[in-house]
Amino acid sequence: MIAFLLWLLATLDAGFTGYREAAGRNALINKRLYYRRAMIKGALFGQIAVGIAAVVILTSLTVTPDRQSLLRDYDQAGARMLIFYLPYAAVILVAFLVRWIPSVDIRSITSTTIFGPLTLIRPLVAVVGLVYGVLAAPRVATIVVGLIVLTMMLGLEKVLSLFRTASRYRHIPPRS
Amino acid sequence: MNPFASKEPNEGGRNLPKRTARRFGLTSGTGWVLVLSRPVKPMRKVGPKTSDPLLFRLLLRALSIPTTGPEISDRIVAFDSETLEREPVGKQSVVEEFLSLENRPAARIVEQLPAQANGILDPEAIDRLLIRVHCEMQRVSEEFQHGRRVAELLNSILEALRANHVSRPLRVVDIGCGTGFVIRWLAANSSLGGDVELIGADYHPALVEAATRLARVEKLSCRFVIGNAFRLAEPAAVYLSTGILHHFREDDLLELFKQHDRQSTCAFLHFDFHSSALAPFGSWLFHAVRMREPLAKHDGVLSAVRAYAPRELLLAARTGAPDFVSAIYGTKLWGLPIPRAFHSLVGMRPQYRNAFIANMGSKIGSLGVIE
Repeated sequence: MIAFLLWLLATLDAGFTGYREAAGRNALINKRLYYRRAMIKGALFGQIAVGIAAVVILTSLTVTPDRQSLLRDYDQAGARMLIFYLPYAAVILVAFLVRWIPSVDIRSITSTTIFGPLTLIRPLVAVVGLVYGVLAAPRVATIVVGLIVLTMMLGLEKVLSLFRTASRYRHIPPRS
Repeated sequence: MNPFASKEPNEGGRNLPKRTARRFGLTSGTGWVLVLSRPVKPMRKVGPKTSDPLLFRLLLRALSIPTTGPEISDRIVAFDSETLEREPVGKQSVVEEFLSLENRPAARIVEQLPAQANGILDPEAIDRLLIRVHCEMQRVSEEFQHGRRVAELLNSILEALRANHVSRPLRVVDIGCGTGFVIRWLAANSSLGGDVELIGADYHPALVEAATRLARVEKLSCRFVIGNAFRLAEPAAVYLSTGILHHFREDDLLELFKQHDRQSTCAFLHFDFHSSALAPFGSWLFHAVRMREPLAKHDGVLSAVRAYAPRELLLAARTGAPDFVSAIYGTKLWGLPIPRAFHSLVGMRPQYRNAFIANMGSKIGSLGVIE
């Protein structure tokens, strides 16, 4: 369950990272499809990151002499990470629900009070959640996995930008 | 009468380069370039005053919030006031100007801009940069629902004009439209009615071309022209702008409103940042998390710092365009002491006032006294 929730949160975060990376690069008015693709791309790249983390975890479980103990430590660390990450995600999702209300003021207020500040503190939440989780079972394996996950979480937007090919990096449509 | 005469005297800008045209670049709103054919005046320092609370000043400094105008985009493009031809802009003179104003972050940003061998800023690179900046600004405009925000008030104005049998089409002209986000949004959402003609005007050919291309791709019923919004062959019934008022300092703001006062003009509607103690910090936050270009971050934050207070806008509008009644819309959120990020100045000929008020419905509570 803990692993599933972490995967779900990682996928959501990667999807929104895809959105953020795509935002501000397309000046068309109707671009739902553009954003949908960006979010799917982000989520797919997120799966690669999750896959890398899974490979590292499985490898460590394979080579460790005490598999049960390491598994328990991963579980404890993951559970403590969720204490930070779940409320953060819940606030974001509630804000999206509020944003469905067709009011200019309400939508703006979700941006000024939730989306903006929470985007600003996202790196901090990622670091604090991870440190708090790793502190539950501070051993080389959990620290290494934690650092790999953190690097991928914070570096995903940059990676997505690098994968944005020059031909698609257009702020306005090309001359026909 | 100068409504700003009682304010602090001009400071800074002592080493401004002598240019024949005053230039205003692209703004954090939708972008525009205005050319006025008179010498550049020294810039007035608009940042914190010694009377501001210490914490406020410390926070501004800690966050590196720029406090001195002009904005970078005000300075890196120039057009001849008569021919509208682009004038060369020396990179070093702009850098020196910002250094003289003690705005080192701005000087550093300009230093990074590409220049030709003769020291002139590369016009094509600057155009590309400004288009990128406009895309980033559009993202914030979308998030804050600028299109819908404009449509809500504009519809009430247009209904008032229809009720008074103003000749059709009802021409709405966006002053300094940049890449034309608001005009294109209004066209895309068909929220104004078939008798409305939407035009965006800007001095910057690259931005107008971009706006035209974007509109064409989405088959939008609007058009964009290079030129002075007040000198179009087909004059506007309603003048509109978003995010430009704070660029007009002192007498220039009065001049802007004086230009509204022409026979065909029925109303005007100007959106801009709302001046409040929170505005610089809120703007800093959003530009930090939403913008990529350093220029966009710098200018966007400075826009909020330079924003006019409602009473300043009203005084300027009523002085510059005395034949119009005007009011500020939306300074507080739901009547609570929560400042909105943006407010709007709405003005119209007195004969349309009653119909406009009647059309406002529940929104009337956010409208100040219109007189």
